[in-house]
Amino acid sequence: MTKNKLRLLLGVFALGTLVSCSKDEPETPVIPNEEELITTLKWQLISVDNQDTLNFLFRDLDGDGGNAPTIETMDLKANTSYSARVQLLNELENPAEDITEEVSAEAEDHQFFYQTSMTGLSVSYADSDLNGNPVGILTNLSTTDTSSGELLITLLHMPNKFANGVAAGDITEAGGESDISISFNLNVKP
Amino acid sequence: MLNPKKLFFFLALLASSTLLAQKCKIKVSGNILDLKSNQAIVNATIYSNDRQQGALSDSQGYFELKNLCEGELHLLISHIGCSPRSIYINLRADTNLTIRLDHSNEVLNEVAVQADQAGRALAPQKSLSAEKISENAGSDLATVLEGLNGLASIGNGAKVSKPVVQGLYGNRISLVNNGVVHSGQQWGNDHAPEIDPLMAGSISVLKGSAAIEYMGSSLGSVVLVEPRAMPTDPHVHGAAQYHYESNGRGQVLNARVEQKAPWIIWRLAASLKKSGDQKTASYYLRNTGREEANTTLHLEKRYAKKWQTKLYYSLNSSKLGLLRGSQIGNLSDLQLALERDEPFYTQEDFSYSIDAPRQEVQHHLLKATQLYTIDKDHGFELNYSWQLNERQEFDLRRAERSSRPALSLSQNNHFWELKYHALSAQKWHWHSALQYNLRDNYNVPETGILPLVPDYISREWGAFFRLHKQWEKWALDVGARADYIVQNVASISNSSPREVIRNRNTFFNPKASLALSYQFTEALKANVNLGYSQRNPAINELYSSGLHQGVSGIEEGDPNLGEEQSFKASFDVSYRPNEHWNFEALSFVQPISNFIYLQPQQELRLTIRGAFPVFQYQQSNALLHGIELQANFDPEGPLRFDANYSYLKGDNREEGIPLVFMPPNRINAAVNYQLPSIGAWEKVEFQIANRFIFEQKHLLPSQDFVAPPPSYNLVSLKASAARQIGQNRWHFFIKADNLFNIAYRDYLNRQRYFANDLGINISLGLGLKF
Repeated sequence: MTKNKLRLLLGVFALGTLVSCSKDEPETPVIPNEEELITTLKWQLISVDNQDTLNFLFRDLDGDGGNAPTIETMDLKANTSYSARVQLLNELENPAEDITEEVSAEAEDHQFFYQTSMTGLSVSYADSDLNGNPVGILTNLSTTDTSSGELLITLLHMPNKFANGVAAGDITEAGGESDISISFNLNVKP
Repeated sequence: MLNPKKLFFFLALLASSTLLAQKCKIKVSGNILDLKSNQAIVNATIYSNDRQQGALSDSQGYFELKNLCEGELHLLISHIGCSPRSIYINLRADTNLTIRLDHSNEVLNEVAVQADQAGRALAPQKSLSAEKISENAGSDLATVLEGLNGLASIGNGAKVSKPVVQGLYGNRISLVNNGVVHSGQQWGNDHAPEIDPLMAGSISVLKGSAAIEYMGSSLGSVVLVEPRAMPTDPHVHGAAQYHYESNGRGQVLNARVEQKAPWIIWRLAASLKKSGDQKTASYYLRNTGREEANTTLHLEKRYAKKWQTKLYYSLNSSKLGLLRGSQIGNLSDLQLALERDEPFYTQEDFSYSIDAPRQEVQHHLLKATQLYTIDKDHGFELNYSWQLNERQEFDLRRAERSSRPALSLSQNNHFWELKYHALSAQKWHWHSALQYNLRDNYNVPETGILPLVPDYISREWGAFFRLHKQWEKWALDVGARADYIVQNVASISNSSPREVIRNRNTFFNPKASLALSYQFTEALKANVNLGYSQRNPAINELYSSGLHQGVSGIEEGDPNLGEEQSFKASFDVSYRPNEHWNFEALSFVQPISNFIYLQPQQELRLTIRGAFPVFQYQQSNALLHGIELQANFDPEGPLRFDANYSYLKGDNREEGIPLVFMPPNRINAAVNYQLPSIGAWEKVEFQIANRFIFEQKHLLPSQDFVAPPPSYNLVSLKASAARQIGQNRWHFFIKADNLFNIAYRDYLNRQRYFANDLGINISLGLGLKF
């Protein structure tokens, strides 16, 4: 039995007391820089014939929080071709960060899908990644008859872009996780 | 530390000195008796490593070793159904020993109730011995415990799970590691407790009414992970083990060394585990590998007679892969996944690599104990423990952020305790303590994501007493405790712009328990356990907000939740009409008022990733009740039969709906064939075991994304034996789990939404004692 060892032990206890009594309130947490968050999807359509520019916005500034997003309804002209471009933004940052750049930098791991049951509307891919598979940031749209319905835009992260039908825009076999999934109401007007 | 083995294998050393023996003419003789029945144990092996000499006990349990030389002697006593027992003697004269082995029916690895252990008197209890744990060396804690009656596991994947005891898990049961209540991120169903079962000497489950001695949120049951008894031998001894598993191509290395050195008693143990993609009956589960490194150090020192110091440190470090196909973005992803036979990303090849999604967790535990014995009946114990739990979870993220954790939590926990125990002249045992706990939970700001649970500092003050006494036929155990809790919380709003919100909560939790047992006849015994306990809402139940991958929904806490009140009554009988039969039956009922649960809301919340169901933490009145039955038959001869059945039902009585995530009913059965020896092989054992899990039918279709999986039946085979080779004793076993390689899914495994559970697994083990 040595006094030293007792002292050592008392030291351990004392250290414990010190540590455990030092704080009462948590320090102010660091508000994370949510640079990954996508708050806004901007879909820009330019009609091929007269260069009319249309912008449609989905915006949800609080992310998964309780305030509902705003979604604009799309009005397109019948029998018209458009070239379309998707832009993703994080508007919590100032200035807003363009997330589309991250997506095109990892084009092999991303793909947009455009799904609709409307007969008067077709969407085709107008871009490709290094493997020659579509990405879907750029698309061509064409309308025929007047109609209305919904268009679902999905962005998949890490899909299997070589799976059956995926390159043609069929999402069934793609896998991956949805980073974006937005339904727009769409009217094709005369 | 308190170790049941000290009691189980009570060893009386009746050293009788006759004549001063001549050198190498010394005789060691003795009797080997059953701890419970005091009957002779026949055919037990007594072997001396150092003298290369052995004997078998005869029909009276008697053995002799003759012509031994003076000096140090190590004896290893082993018998079927018991863990081998080592004895060290410094031999000077003829010696007679009385050795008691616990030879209770060990079927399905259960050890019977022992009274008068701290915190466990009269509580219905089941234990796993170190030997049984080592035969499941590749499994996590919850899976190892699953063979016990009344237990199940919940998790995400086969080896990322936590134990469920009588329907409760997570915050509602306490895991006590080496006397310290395990402190980590218990709220997550996929957060496996950071405890390596291989480091334990035994693991017990106490299904009592109130865990009076432990600070924490348990509503009754406790899982006790206890170390081995410290060595009594002045030489360095140890054990090493290697384990291989075909499923996942897992390997485990585990070793320990220990010694009662003149100046200190010490033990050092470590384990390394590595496994890769697990396999279902027909395909690999991609990214389900696991890497683990664990180490523990025990030091014990006795000064004079009255003072004793113990130091314990353990580090558990693990990297756990989660099924690649189980990370999904929204409900339609889940829908697509549910419709598939094989999960997305399934590969033809096996791989050891662990990518996102994965968890990386480190858990440190340091415990210092100072014991002061006033006299043999009174003593003090001062404990300090520190735990640091660092958990990082990695998801698949854009722009190379997958290497940045999506969740990074660091939790410091300091615990202080001053215990006092006394034994009165009338044999009343008194235990009491003052306790203080400080928990500091901190989100490491590296994620770039809003934290799921907030930063908080929680301080808890507690005190308890327990009083028990054993009469000839009666035993009584009463206790009560009270805890006062102050939580200071700093959370970040999920509205825009983000801001810090501070909250201060105080809670007061009383607990009380009463247990009575009565021995009607030698064969029949009954116990009644009554307990009241209260649990304050956990931090996630109060403040979680946001998308939770685990439920594919948005979880919203409610800062106004109050305490849960639980009353639990359990009644159990054991009947052992003769040495061949043993029956046990237990029933319990547990009404819980203000039971906190996740209630799906009508609203679907629209986000940029699609629409998500919203779940809100609410309170309601719940009722759990269950029955557990066990029968063991041990006729003359090498065969032994065991069976158990457990039934459980949980209801939300206010809403008139079932509780979710309640373990389905199950039946375990096993036949053992045991021989004392075949040639040089000792303790030869064969076992065929069967586990049948019923379908969970007590659930409404609206309560889950998909109906619970159908019932399934698993068969396993095992053979084990021991052999003396030179100076050392080796233990071998081979085991096949899911022998028929059936495809099945388990209700409590979240991975069932995406993939089948594990197919056949053949494991081989090799153990060495030196």
